[in-house]
Amino acid sequence: MINAVLVFNNNGQPRLTKFYTQLAYLPKLPPQPDKSADTVQQRLISEIFTLVANRPNSSCNFLPLPPLLASSSKSTTPSEPHNDTPSLVTYRHYATLYFIIISTSTESPLALLDLIQVFVEALDRLFENVCELDLIFNFETLHATLSEMIVGGVVVETGLERVVEGVKAQGRVAKRPVNEGKGGLGFGGGGLGSGGGIWAGR
Amino acid sequence: MFEKSLYDLIRGLRNHKGNERAYIQESLRECRREIKSQDMDLKATALLKLTYLEMFGHDMSWASFNVLEVMSSQKYPQKRVGYLAAVQSFRPDTEVLMLAENLLKKDLTSPMPTTIGLPLMAIPHVISPSMANSLLSDLLPRLTHSHAAIRKKTIVTLYRLALVYPETLRPAWPKIKDRLLDENEDPSVTAAIVNVVCELGWRRPQDFLPLAPRLFDLLVQGGNNWMAIKIIKLFATLTPLEPRLIKKLLPPLTSIIKTTPAMSLLYECINGIIQGGILEGAEGTNEGEEIARLCVGKLRGMLVIEGDPNLKYVALLAFNKIVTSHPHLVALHQDVILACIDDPDISIRMKALDLVVGMVNSDNLVAIVGGLMRQLQNAPAASTTDDPANDRGASQGVVPAADPDDEDAEESLRPAEKRSDQPPPLPEEYRISVIRQILEMCSRDTYANINDFDWYIEVLVQLVKVSPSTKAVFAPEEPPDVVATAPGRRSDISYDVGYELQNVAVRVRTVRPEATQAAESLILFDRREQMFPASGNGGQGVLESAAWMVGEYAEHLISPDGTLTSLMHSSAMQLPSHTLAIYIQAIPKVFATIAGGQQTSWSAERKTIVILLMARIIHFLEPLATHPDLEVQERAVEYLELMRLASEAASAQGTSTDGSFTDPPLLLTQALPSLFTGMELNPVAPGAQKKVPLPDALNLDAPINPNLSSLLARAERDTQTLSEDDDIFSLYNKRPTPAKQPTAAADRLSPPPKEAPSYQRAPLSEEHLDPELIARRKAERRDRYKDDPFYIPSENERSRSETSTPFHAILQNSNGDELDLDAIPIMDLNLDSKGPGSGTEGPRKSGTARASGKKKLRRKVEIIGDETLDAPDEAASTSLSTSPQRPELVRPAQSSSRGKKSLLEVDSSGLGSLSLDENGGASKLDIERREAEEAEMARALKEVERLRLEMQRASERIQAREDEGEGSLVRRKKKKAKAAEGLGVGGEEGNAEDAGEAVVKKKKKKKKQAKEREAGAEEGDEPQEVVKPKKKKKRQVLLDESAAS
Repeated sequence: MINAVLVFNNNGQPRLTKFYTQLAYLPKLPPQPDKSADTVQQRLISEIFTLVANRPNSSCNFLPLPPLLASSSKSTTPSEPHNDTPSLVTYRHYATLYFIIISTSTESPLALLDLIQVFVEALDRLFENVCELDLIFNFETLHATLSEMIVGGVVVETGLERVVEGVKAQGRVAKRPVNEGKGGLGFGGGGLGSGGGIWAGR
Repeated sequence: MFEKSLYDLIRGLRNHKGNERAYIQESLRECRREIKSQDMDLKATALLKLTYLEMFGHDMSWASFNVLEVMSSQKYPQKRVGYLAAVQSFRPDTEVLMLAENLLKKDLTSPMPTTIGLPLMAIPHVISPSMANSLLSDLLPRLTHSHAAIRKKTIVTLYRLALVYPETLRPAWPKIKDRLLDENEDPSVTAAIVNVVCELGWRRPQDFLPLAPRLFDLLVQGGNNWMAIKIIKLFATLTPLEPRLIKKLLPPLTSIIKTTPAMSLLYECINGIIQGGILEGAEGTNEGEEIARLCVGKLRGMLVIEGDPNLKYVALLAFNKIVTSHPHLVALHQDVILACIDDPDISIRMKALDLVVGMVNSDNLVAIVGGLMRQLQNAPAASTTDDPANDRGASQGVVPAADPDDEDAEESLRPAEKRSDQPPPLPEEYRISVIRQILEMCSRDTYANINDFDWYIEVLVQLVKVSPSTKAVFAPEEPPDVVATAPGRRSDISYDVGYELQNVAVRVRTVRPEATQAAESLILFDRREQMFPASGNGGQGVLESAAWMVGEYAEHLISPDGTLTSLMHSSAMQLPSHTLAIYIQAIPKVFATIAGGQQTSWSAERKTIVILLMARIIHFLEPLATHPDLEVQERAVEYLELMRLASEAASAQGTSTDGSFTDPPLLLTQALPSLFTGMELNPVAPGAQKKVPLPDALNLDAPINPNLSSLLARAERDTQTLSEDDDIFSLYNKRPTPAKQPTAAADRLSPPPKEAPSYQRAPLSEEHLDPELIARRKAERRDRYKDDPFYIPSENERSRSETSTPFHAILQNSNGDELDLDAIPIMDLNLDSKGPGSGTEGPRKSGTARASGKKKLRRKVEIIGDETLDAPDEAASTSLSTSPQRPELVRPAQSSSRGKKSLLEVDSSGLGSLSLDENGGASKLDIERREAEEAEMARALKEVERLRLEMQRASERIQAREDEGEGSLVRRKKKKAKAAEGLGVGGEEGNAEDAGEAVVKKKKKKKKQAKEREAGAEEGDEPQEVVKPKKKKKRQVLLDESAAS
C-alpha cells in the first residue's frame, strides 16, 4: 500500500504532505519552540529532498530509502520482503515540483510512476495548465484531487476523467488569483507526459 | 475586518522574505484568536490556515476541539475544511475522537454523496479499534450505495478498519466478495476491490484461493492494466499454495508478455512469474523453458534497447530476484549487467553491483575492480558533508520560506531536461558499498579469484586514498567505555581495508614483505598526504592494522627508523585509543628490530643511537602512562618500564674502544626481541577455541590457592608498611639516572632456577644444566604428558635463531615463587604440520592446482586457511559450519533491528490470524444479531452523549453561580448511576453475545463514564444515600469485564 504522498518544490518547501500511516514524533528531539520544524515528518521531507535534489535528471525515478526509513526497516533483502514496511520511494520531477510516493513492495514501481502522471494530469485539467502557484493557493483542491485517487493508502481511481469529475462534484475549483500570475505561462498545449507514453499502464 | 484569508496568509508569507518565522508566529497567534470566535466562517478560515502551516511542521493538535466544531458545520465547504484538518492533524489517540464518532456516523448516512465521501476519506486516518467496531454497522450499507465512488471508497475504508480491528472483516468480507463477483459492477469498483484483495492477499493467501477463477477471468478479459498488475501480484502469492494454477496462468501470462505495449504490465508479469515460483513450477516442460527464455530476453531488452533508466532499474531488480534461483540464466547476460556498473545513475549502479559480486571469477576480477576503482578515483567526491550547498533541506529545516522567485512557481509543471549531465557526484553510501563489494569480491573463498597479490595490495592501498571520511571523529579524551564499543569502527570502511591488508600479510607468506611495505608507506608520516584522502579523516581506520603489521613483520621494513619516527609522531596522540594501543605495541617491536642486532659490535656510535632512540620512546610513552583509556595506559606503563630498564642496561654496558667486538647488552639483543618473536601468528577459524577439550587433570573449579584470603590480608599489611622512600616507590616515581652505575642486566640474572620457567619453549639456559638432569626431566615430562595431545614436545619447536634468555627469570626471582609453567599445556597451532586441523581447509596450494589450465601464469602462492580442530562436541561444530570462514568481511554490518517497527509501517499482523473461512467464521445470523446489538449500542451511546451535554450545560450554569463545595461528590454519583444503567443494558447483552467485542465497547464506555464523572463533579446538590446503588453497579460492570477478559 501507499504510505505517503509528498509534494515539494525545488527548494524543499512542502506543498502537500499526506501520510496514510501515522508518523510518530521522535521522542528524543527536545522541544524547541522556535524551531518547530523538527518533527519526524519535516525531517523525512528534508531527507528525501536531499536525496532527490542531488540526482541528475537522466537518472531513474527510484530513490534509495532515506536514513529515517532505512534504519528501521530490513526489507531490502530480496529473499523475504516484508510487505508492511515501506520499501519503495518513487518520485517524479515536474518543472518546480517533486512528487514523491512512499510505498510498500505490494505496489508496482512503474505503475506508481504512472499514478503520479495521472495525478499531475488531473491537476492540469482542473487548473488548466497547472503551475506551482495554483497548488500553493489551492492546497485544498490538491488534497481533494488526491483523495479521489488514493484513500487510506489504496489506489481507488486511475481514470483521469473520473478523478476530475469527482473533484468538480465537490464544488467550483478556484482559479489562481489574477494579480498573482504574470500572464503567459510559456508552455501552451502539448501533452504533459514526456515519459507517459512508455508505460501505458493506466 | 482585519481577518486574513488563506490567500492573505500565503501572500504575506511571500512578502515577508527573511523573517518568515516571526510572521508565522504572528499568524499563529491570530489563528488562535480567530478559531475561538463564534463566526463559523472565521473559524473555518483560521482552521484552514492552521492546516496550511501544519504542513511546515507547526503543531495544531491544540485545536482538535475546534476541528471538531468545523467538521460538524452544516455548510459543505466548511465541513470539508474541518475534515481536511482532521485528516492532517488527528491521530488515533487524539482525545476528541470519541466525540467525533457520532458525527462520522451521521455524515456517513447523509443523502449527499459528496458529504459521505468526507468521512470515508477521513476514517482511515483516525480509526481506532473501538471506533472500527461501532462504525462498521454504518459502513456496511454504503457498499451498495448508488454511486460507484462511494462504493469503492467504502471498500477501502473497510480494509483499513480490518487493519486495526480484524474482526470487522468477518461481516464485511462476504459483501465485498459479492461486489467482486458481480459481473455488472462498475469496473473502477472492481479495480479498487482487487487492490484491497491484493493488500489482504499476501497475509493469508489461502483464504483467497476460491477467488482465483474470477480473478483469472478479470485477467484474461484485460482492459485495465492497473488491475492486471495487481491481479498478477496476487497470483504470485497464490501459486505457491496451488501449483495447478501455474499451468493455467502460463498461457495468458505468456501472451501478455508477448503482446502488451505497457511496460509496467510487462514488468509485473515477469516479476510475478519470478516471485510466484512459476519458473520453478514449470521447469522441465516446454512452456517453462519458453517462458524463462522469454522473461530473461525481455529483461535484457529493457536493459539494452529502451535506454530508459527506470526500465534498467526494474530490470536489474528482477535479475536480482532471479539470480538466487537461476544463476545460469542471469550469467548469460553478464555483458549488459557489467555495462550497468558504469551507468551514470547511482541507483542503477548499486543494483548492478549487487549482481556483479556474484559473477566475478579470476578472469574478470581485475577488469571489474579496475572499473570500480576508476569510478572511485575520478568522480567528484561530493556528498552532503563535503558540500553544504547540497544540504539545504537538512541545514535550515523546512520553514515556509518566501519563494525565491515567482517566475519559477509559475512554470508549467512539465518535465524539464535542463540540468547538465556531468559525472554524478558519488554519495558516501555508494562509495562505502563499492569498497565493501571490492573487498568481498577479492576475498571470496579465501582469495580464490586473485592471481596477483601485488596487484591486490596495490588496490588496497588505493582504496585507502578514496575512503570516505567518517562523521564520528575520535578524540583521545573519549571516555573508555565509549571506546570499548568503538561506535564508528564498524561503520568506517577503512577498518575493513586495513583488516584485509593484514589478512593478506598473515595468510600469504610470499607477499608478506610487499604487504608490510604497503603498511609502512601508510604509517610513514611524511607520505600521509599522498596516501590518504586530501580532506576529511577518511582512511584513518587502516592505521590500526598497518601499525600491527609494521610491528609484527618489522624485519621486512625498508626504513625501520623512519617507521619508528612516524609511530612516535606527535600526531599519533590524536588517534583513537584502540589504534593508539596498537601503536604502542608496535613501537618496541620495531625498536627491537633496530637495536637487537647481535652481529654488530657495541660501538660508541651504536650505543649513542640506541640510547637516543630509547629516550625518544620514553619521551613518547611518558604522557601516555596517564591516558584515560586503560588499554593504552597499561601498555604504555609496561613498555615505559621496560625501556627504562633497557636504557639503564645500555648505558651501563661499556663500549669497544679499539674496534674489537664487544657484546651488546643482552637485554637488547636477547630479552627484548624474545618478547616478540616466537611462534608465528596464524589465522584461526572462529570457534576453534571452543573446541579445545579440557584436559582431564584440569579442574577449573578448584581454587588455585586455597588460602587466598590470608595472602590478600598479608599484602594489605605489606602495603601499609611501605614507606615513601621505598624501592618500588622510587622506581615508579623517580627517573633512573644513568650515572648511577647500575649493573648490567645480564649480571642481574641469577643462576637459572632449577625449574626454568618458559611459556613456549624450553629455555636455552637448560644448556647450563646438568645434561643428565635435563634428559631425566625430559623423559619424565614425556612420560607425564604422553597422553596429552596439547603438550608441546620440545622436538617440535621452531628452530628459529634461538635467542631467548630467561628474561622473566628476573621477574620470577623477585617474585620468588617456583611454578612450573611448562606444566601448563599450550595449544599447538603449528600450521605446517597437518596436525589435528582438518575441519576446514589446510594450507592450500592454489598455484599448482590451477595454473596449469590457465593462460596466465599464476604466481605460486600459498594461502593459509583458517585453522581449526575436529569438533568433539556438536555445538561447536554446528556453529562453525554455519558461520562463514571469515565473518568480518563476508558479513556486512547488518543492523539486527528486526523487532523494531519501521517509521511508516502499518501493523497488519492481526489480520494474519484472522481466518475468513466461511464455515469457521461467524454465521449470517450471528452477524445480524451483532448488527442489532450494534444499533442498540449506538442508541445507548447517544443517550450517554445527550446526558453528558446536559450535564455540561448544568455545570456551566453552576460554575457561573460558583457555590457548593462538599456536596459535589455525592451528586455526581447519582448521575453516574443513571448513566451506568443505560450502559449496563447494552454492556451486559454484549457480554452475552460476544465477549471479546464487549471488552472493547466497555473500554470506550468507561472513558465516557470518566468524562461524565468530571462533568458531574462540578455540580452538586444531591442526597448521600444514592452512593450505594451506584457502587454496586460499578462493581458489576467490573466483574463482567474480568469475566470477559
